[in-house]
Amino acid sequence: MATHIESLCDSGKLRERWTRVRQADPESMTSRSTTGEEPSGADLHAGSPAIETRALTKHFGERTALDGVDLHVPRGSAFGFLGPNGAGKTTMIRTLLGLTHASSGEMHLLGRPVPAERAQALTRVGAIVEEPRFHMYLTGRQNLRLVAAVRGPEADALIEPALARVGLADRAGEKVKSYSMGMRQRLGVARCLLADPLLLILDEPTNGLDPGGIQEFREMVRAMVEQEGRTVFISSHLLDEVERTCDAAAIVDRGRVVTQGPIAELAEGGTRHELILGVDDPGRALGTLQGSPLVIEAHASDEGLRVVLAGGPETAAQVNAALVQAGLGVMRLEPVRHSLEQRFLEITARLDAPAEGADAPHEEVPS
Amino acid sequence: MTAIALRMTGADLLKLRRKRWLVLLSLFLTLGILAIVYLVTVIQHASAPSNHGPAGGVEHFGDGVRVLSLIFGPLAAILIGIEAGAGDTATGVFRDLVVTGRSRVALFASRVPAALLLCWTVMVAGFVLVLVASNVFASGLPTPGAALIFNSLGFILLATGVVCVVAVGFASLTTSRAGAIVTLIAWQIVASPLLSSIGSLGSARRLILSQAIGHFSPVSTEGRHGTTVAMSTGTALIVMIGWLLIFLMLGAWRTAEMDA
Repeated sequence: MATHIESLCDSGKLRERWTRVRQADPESMTSRSTTGEEPSGADLHAGSPAIETRALTKHFGERTALDGVDLHVPRGSAFGFLGPNGAGKTTMIRTLLGLTHASSGEMHLLGRPVPAERAQALTRVGAIVEEPRFHMYLTGRQNLRLVAAVRGPEADALIEPALARVGLADRAGEKVKSYSMGMRQRLGVARCLLADPLLLILDEPTNGLDPGGIQEFREMVRAMVEQEGRTVFISSHLLDEVERTCDAAAIVDRGRVVTQGPIAELAEGGTRHELILGVDDPGRALGTLQGSPLVIEAHASDEGLRVVLAGGPETAAQVNAALVQAGLGVMRLEPVRHSLEQRFLEITARLDAPAEGADAPHEEVPS
Repeated sequence: MTAIALRMTGADLLKLRRKRWLVLLSLFLTLGILAIVYLVTVIQHASAPSNHGPAGGVEHFGDGVRVLSLIFGPLAAILIGIEAGAGDTATGVFRDLVVTGRSRVALFASRVPAALLLCWTVMVAGFVLVLVASNVFASGLPTPGAALIFNSLGFILLATGVVCVVAVGFASLTTSRAGAIVTLIAWQIVASPLLSSIGSLGSARRLILSQAIGHFSPVSTEGRHGTTVAMSTGTALIVMIGWLLIFLMLGAWRTAEMDA
């Protein structure tokens, strides 16, 4: 039971972490600060979010691909940009990186306004847009040399460490055309690392990866965030992947950010905490709980008693105590884990419900 | 050139010289075809000396220079220029270069010297073959002097260099390798000679690039490579510079403005 209560409290930890990363402690969030090197120009804006957009809009002719997007990606987190195919995820990334022009709105990357200071901002940004592309007739190492030549002399020294980091050191002398999709994805990440990036922007990074490759990728992202203090922005339509990899996410649909916040809170739909209870006398327990100020709502379900807590995850212990004091035997106390998928489907279903052309609802998740 | 520009040019050159089909085809169009011509001529001369002259000497040196500067050399220059201009876009690597934050104009600019370096390397190899053959197979005929040799080398580099740079700009503008190859080769081997031969076009034919380039030839092109349109050196220079500037500017503009 203790384990269940601890896991319930995880969402509280996540909230703390969210708050912490939003405050963006420069000492812990920049990769170069761990090496003792002097910060580059981009580091000078270390207190700012990794990505910030305001009313960002992009039109392709009469079609609106991005519709007033407000996005806030804190530093030092893995941030998921989640949405169905055609929601505007890749357009958002392409606009942020200057691959296409925004129609209106403001963007900041690592604290620098884009496109005004795009060149300086991108010196510490690594990105894979759509799928990583290479000159197939060149080796993996030669492909990295091409990009290192464009980035600057300091990138040369990062080629071998980057290849080792993604596990391609032994195959770097082979032509890319002989690489599997997974190896190309890893080479793409190695190419990003040539920037010693404070921010990595990865567009559908697990496309084409086998389960083992996905697991490796997930571990690599977590290590980049937790050990190296980098920010990783992952666009994906795979809810499970974002849920497992990211600390926070934004859900985007039809060019709009519908909601954003920590994963746990997105899944919960705010700060709602639920329990499944197994007790020796469900009827009496239901009576006890329905009159308790600790509980908003309680009802019987196939799994047991389903209880919506009035407070945070710590309230679970108080509910347990109340039941024990009432002379009930508690056999099971399990937090209900909402999946992001459930939440995502709820949101997108709600967006489908209004009449065509009606404004989509926007949600705010407390942070 | 700054250090970063040199590095970028080196990277672009790496892309070009590692493209095996490009290097082999360019060498075939220059060295290969010349080698075949010399081989056939040597065999003909050996089998029937009274009917076929030696493969060397000044006259065949001139033929070799024309092949390199006005016929097959420009084709090789077009292929190299187009690969340099559209290679990154065609493979999708261009966007990965753009996200480094490096100026797009700088990315375009580094293609030009890289293409010229490969183009001129190939041309020099072809020229060395022409020079060696014109001396080795002279069989007593007069051989080219130093002035003609240097003027010819300069002309080959000028002629192929201009075409190569125009090809870089054109390919960067169209971003399509196949389209650019078809268009420029058709222009070079069909449209240019055809337009040059239409007398009613009058002095407008001076605007044709191959005519302006041909003006600087140290070996006679009269009657050897289609119609020759007379023009002053100043006009020829202006026409060449105009072609270069227009296509460099268009290529740079497109590279800077297009969605990557």
